[in-house]
Amino acid sequence: MNYPFWDIDIGYGIIMAAIAVIHVFVSHFAIGGGLYLVIAETIARKNNDQLKLQFLEKLSKFFVLVSVVFGALTGVGIWFIIGLLNPAATEVLIHNYVWAWAAEWTFFVIEIIAALLYFYGWKTLSAKNHIIIGWIYFVSAWMSLFIINGIVTYMLTPGDWVVTGNFWDGYFNPTFWSSLWLRTGICIMLGGVYALFVASRYKADDFKKRIVRFNSLWAIGGLAIMIPTMLWYVSAIPKEIVDAALEANLTPIKAMNATYIYAAFLAFVLVVFGFLIPKKYNIVVGVVAMVLALGWFGEYEWMRESIRKPYVITNYMYANGIDVANAEKYQEEGLLESIEFQTADKPADLFRRACRSCHTFDGYKPLKPAFDGTDETFIAQIIMGTHVIRANMPPFVGTEEEAQMVASHIYKQIDKRHISEIYNLDGIALGKKVYDLRCGKCHIFGGFNDKSETLLGSTEEDLGDILDMAGDFADEMPEFTGDEKERKALIDYIMSLNEKEKN
Amino acid sequence: MMPDSNFLSTPLWLIEILHIVTLSLHLIAMNFLFGGIIILLFGNFDDKWNNPFVQKYIKLLPNAMAMTVTFGVAPLLFVQLVYSKQIYAASIISGWLWLMIFVVVMIAYYFLYALSFKQTTAIRQKIYLSIAFACLLYVSYIYSSVFALAEKPDLYKLLYAENQGGTIINPDVGSYLFRWLHMVTGAVTVGGFFVAFIGRKNETAFKVGKDFYLWGMVAAIATGFAYMMGLGELMKPFMKSPAIWLVTISFILSLGSLHFLFKKRFAIASSMLTVSFIAMIYTRHVLRKLSLVGFYDPSEMTVRIAWSPFLFFLLFFLLMVATVWYMLRLYFGKQE
Repeated sequence: MNYPFWDIDIGYGIIMAAIAVIHVFVSHFAIGGGLYLVIAETIARKNNDQLKLQFLEKLSKFFVLVSVVFGALTGVGIWFIIGLLNPAATEVLIHNYVWAWAAEWTFFVIEIIAALLYFYGWKTLSAKNHIIIGWIYFVSAWMSLFIINGIVTYMLTPGDWVVTGNFWDGYFNPTFWSSLWLRTGICIMLGGVYALFVASRYKADDFKKRIVRFNSLWAIGGLAIMIPTMLWYVSAIPKEIVDAALEANLTPIKAMNATYIYAAFLAFVLVVFGFLIPKKYNIVVGVVAMVLALGWFGEYEWMRESIRKPYVITNYMYANGIDVANAEKYQEEGLLESIEFQTADKPADLFRRACRSCHTFDGYKPLKPAFDGTDETFIAQIIMGTHVIRANMPPFVGTEEEAQMVASHIYKQIDKRHISEIYNLDGIALGKKVYDLRCGKCHIFGGFNDKSETLLGSTEEDLGDILDMAGDFADEMPEFTGDEKERKALIDYIMSLNEKEKN
Repeated sequence: MMPDSNFLSTPLWLIEILHIVTLSLHLIAMNFLFGGIIILLFGNFDDKWNNPFVQKYIKLLPNAMAMTVTFGVAPLLFVQLVYSKQIYAASIISGWLWLMIFVVVMIAYYFLYALSFKQTTAIRQKIYLSIAFACLLYVSYIYSSVFALAEKPDLYKLLYAENQGGTIINPDVGSYLFRWLHMVTGAVTVGGFFVAFIGRKNETAFKVGKDFYLWGMVAAIATGFAYMMGLGELMKPFMKSPAIWLVTISFILSLGSLHFLFKKRFAIASSMLTVSFIAMIYTRHVLRKLSLVGFYDPSEMTVRIAWSPFLFFLLFFLLMVATVWYMLRLYFGKQE
């Protein structure tokens, strides 16, 4: 851990997503739009369709501005942000895949030059040469995707690389091909949606009807490719990764469901406004379709990222940049020892290294609501058992003493009033809150690590005994350190569930 | 046992050559852009904002920006490969300022495109170009500041202990002020060359380019000399390194190129300038290594040769050169 930690108030996940999702939304359009332009131009020239050629020239201006400027610079932005947020993981990617990145750059150069020549060439190039440059653009843009896809998929499914360290084992990994064709489908869909956006500003005449239908057909073609390839992609992810993610973390499932919803709405907009009433495809509809496509992409990327938890590179490096290979060593010798960049506040240093890359206190994945009203001992015990908590967190790879230091740092920031006072609760409602705070991190009734069988049906006395012995059930299980009021409320809550069960 | 990722898959010298070659391409494009903007803003052209030469140069600026960004990716990759620990550490210390670079470049890009798409009023042209200039000045300063900080491991550790929010700008201004000014004046010099070359058939444009080339070079020599004088403890090892010969060669070649530019012999002038330029980039490279002596020696990095991924790159690199050549021939050749 040779890096300083960029301690900012914004959640890392949010800032990363803000740049990355916008970039992929633009960069995939840069590929699909290229294919769209060159095919549409070929057809238009064959039919001597001057109106369509004018439309394509206009679209290519938008295309160059969006892809060359926005796409390229947000791509640079990703380079900058990954180096700031997770330099250790970035270092792994660069050291292992430098020649893939460099090869991708060669296509990036071709792509940018071809895009500019294509744009400037509408007036100066012959039809044949213009189309040739259009094809060169598309092929180089798609090759960029081909290369980068190997690195992106490696992070989720590194395959045999984790054992061999061989470049090609990681590159052509289990999800490489499915992801490549899925992303190709996304590119095509986005090419159509962006072209529809440009067409939406045209006046409602016969040309608009024609071009909107053509663009909608194009976008639906992309959606049609996305459906089977998405299923292929999900099935290609090794079962153990999927099971581990789904058992403890519902985020990928929610994100996946959201992609279906966005895709369905997008298909609806394309069929209704694109085919049935194309002249009504105005700017509002154009924006809605763009938002739906962006929403789809955001959810897809969220699914891909969240299913990888608790790793940033599966089985190799945890999301907080701690390498799996050295985890045991840190646990024995101490994490602090390995932190090269330290401040005068050691608990804060440990907190940053172990927790801060995912959690804030008040904002993204906040810790305050998770610990307000609890105590330092409880927090320390939870830290020692992070790897069994629902949400697929990395293990805490420090000593018990260090966990206590992190707990003291967290405890300083939380609300120290009694839970009943913080949330203004009493009786069974208070008991439910106590359950959520003290037990619900690992046990959900009818869900994750369900303990209904043990708890429901127990007497008040049994429940009291269970709470007294809580710390003895498993190494990772914290003792019950709440006060009498909490204890009583918690037992009352479970007994109330007991009653419901009987009824 | 899991694979160790702290290695190089090709010899260090190969990576260093690629770094220097690609950085040269990036800096040439950057100098065309940044130096060109400065000359357009401050050069004495007739009826400047309606001058056909100025309009022609303005139209080239967004493309120069595209090339600057595109050619900038590869050297950043190669330098991060070898100096990852230093560069990431320094950029995290200045995190927000570093991250803002891509936003600021986007703003500059916008104004350059706005200028190039449609000729507007003189005042607007001046404002747009000034905004682009200010943005690029910011980028150049942050780059100099962060890369200078990357050469001072003791300092960035100290700064981190004080502030972890990524809002610090390298406080050791003395160590990079002249370095930065040398880059800026160097950009003006090379920009002057491009203006003189593109405007070779336009007496005013040629004169403006020539004057900026001359005075830019004087300023670049002065700031470069000041930077060298400020090297402190590094001066002695620097004087003993081959870099001092490169500086001398670079100096002589620069003067030679000046002579030939004045005579409008562009081929020989540009060749001399290019060699001088690459020699200066190599000098920077040597200086970085000297600054890090005692902290980090890249030659000690584990090298685990794996040629196949490199050949994969080499093949595509050659393909890139051939394809770009083919496209330019198509574009500038006779149209059927």
